[in-house]
Amino acid sequence: MLLKPFLHQCRQQPEAVALVESDRYLSYGDLLARAQSVAAGLQALGVQPGQPVAVHLDRGIDVVIAIFGALLAGACYVPLDLKNPKPRLAFIVRDAKVHAVLGLGDAPAGLDASLWLDINACSEATPKPVELPADSMAAILYTSGSTGQPRGVALSHGAVASFALWAADLVALQDNDRIASSTPFFFDLSTFDLYAVLGRGASLYFVPSALILSPSRLSAWLKEQAISGWYTVPSLLAFLAYKGNLAQTPLESLRFLLFAGEVFPTPALIDLAAKLPRTALYNFFGPTETNVCCYWPVERERLVADENIPIGLPAVGCEFHIDAVTGELWVRGSSLASGYWNQGRLLPFLNEEGWYPTGDRVSLVDGECRFHGRLGRMLKCSGYRVEPAEIEAAVNAMAGVRDCAVVGIDDPAAGQRPALALVLESPATPAEIRTALFRQLPSYMQPSRCVALEELPRLPNGKLDYNQVRTLLEAQQ
Amino acid sequence: MKEKLKTFIFSELIYHEDPASFGDDADLLEAGLDSLGIMRLIMFAEKEFGVTLPDTEIEPDNVNSLNALEKWIKQAGAGQ
Repeated sequence: MLLKPFLHQCRQQPEAVALVESDRYLSYGDLLARAQSVAAGLQALGVQPGQPVAVHLDRGIDVVIAIFGALLAGACYVPLDLKNPKPRLAFIVRDAKVHAVLGLGDAPAGLDASLWLDINACSEATPKPVELPADSMAAILYTSGSTGQPRGVALSHGAVASFALWAADLVALQDNDRIASSTPFFFDLSTFDLYAVLGRGASLYFVPSALILSPSRLSAWLKEQAISGWYTVPSLLAFLAYKGNLAQTPLESLRFLLFAGEVFPTPALIDLAAKLPRTALYNFFGPTETNVCCYWPVERERLVADENIPIGLPAVGCEFHIDAVTGELWVRGSSLASGYWNQGRLLPFLNEEGWYPTGDRVSLVDGECRFHGRLGRMLKCSGYRVEPAEIEAAVNAMAGVRDCAVVGIDDPAAGQRPALALVLESPATPAEIRTALFRQLPSYMQPSRCVALEELPRLPNGKLDYNQVRTLLEAQQ
Repeated sequence: MKEKLKTFIFSELIYHEDPASFGDDADLLEAGLDSLGIMRLIMFAEKEFGVTLPDTEIEPDNVNSLNALEKWIKQAGAGQ
């Protein structure tokens, strides 16, 4: 079970600090006691091993208590992004077929109150022990789906545990490490914080959210807390390098930085590498379906401003196969997700030999992988995965829309931004459609540009001409 | 300056159904300006207005409204 290394730490060093959130902290022993109470509370509600449980909490100590509680009950956790508009959240809760929702206080409107469990209302108790096979589900992480709806990626205990073990070994995590945590738990990056860091007896420090907006205060905090490692997204590190006052704030304790989720623009990475000369930097790569399948320990002397960095070498013992015709990367290995979660059922996505086609176009140069973009239509917007089909499905369902197409426009800071071409029936207007969309989809899925057309451009074979749509939208500026 | 900032913010950084109605003191952070948006806004302002905005002044208070932004950028440029 995924929590085995954490439980070992609880026995070895119950007094050691596990979690720090501003002036609140929790020791390993106290975290375990709180999580056990939640687990017993879930069992009292009738939750059985293998059943999904949603976590309706934002960030910080309480979320870890809830997630570990769910896992100790043998349940599989579904972390919700509370910034999602209500209809999208409601869809996820319905689709996952959750058997309980963990939160604080009273159940929010629109949620079935009979499923709600306030983690602070769980009195001290020891849950009944559960036995779980390694292929039982540990987490379902919802991302944007090419089917037009959010789609859950189901990760097994074995898959997350093998990533955590590999990552902890890579950076040689020790119990005296102080690791910063800023990633919401619905992102796969968070599995490092939860299972690698707490599995090795280190302390997890939640980055106060106001600091994300003030890079010089962030660097001062990293220094004061003597943070030794951090797994985050490139855009935050680029902001830290650009305006973090690092020349006056040397981060001597910072041993390593890991980053993933989007391409790190090389000039910003060169800047960061120069300002943190003694910090080891690692790029992690992989769609949520693989957690991390590829990594590159940054070799500073090889960074060239106008060249993207390699995605590098197979991670977590993955095997690679590159399709000779399409250049698509196929991956096989122990960290791969088990499948998509759809209406309470697992739909496996590996082929008979256990291979997963990533949809990423890569090439192999001197034993290292290089990334050349996506084969499908998926976009990466501010680190979030966005499927144009999900935006199109939402738009097409609106009154007055005859047709629409969503494409990605390159953006120097956000990677890509969605852009929308519309064919409307009077009296609908693009502004109305965008306003309605704002209530249904999260902000990173909002089109940055919009154009209304008489007809969508088509290729001679009748298929939609996405290149022409993109050209029309790029000309909008 | 304020108009240039406003145009950039509402065309590139955050979506608003009616930017014209967005007041000069209205809260940009509440309207969705995030860390990535602030970084892009600073890059834009430094280039567009030829100023250097000091690292230690990047605070929510200086970027949370159009008026605050204008005041901050003008102060940063005043000594040049």
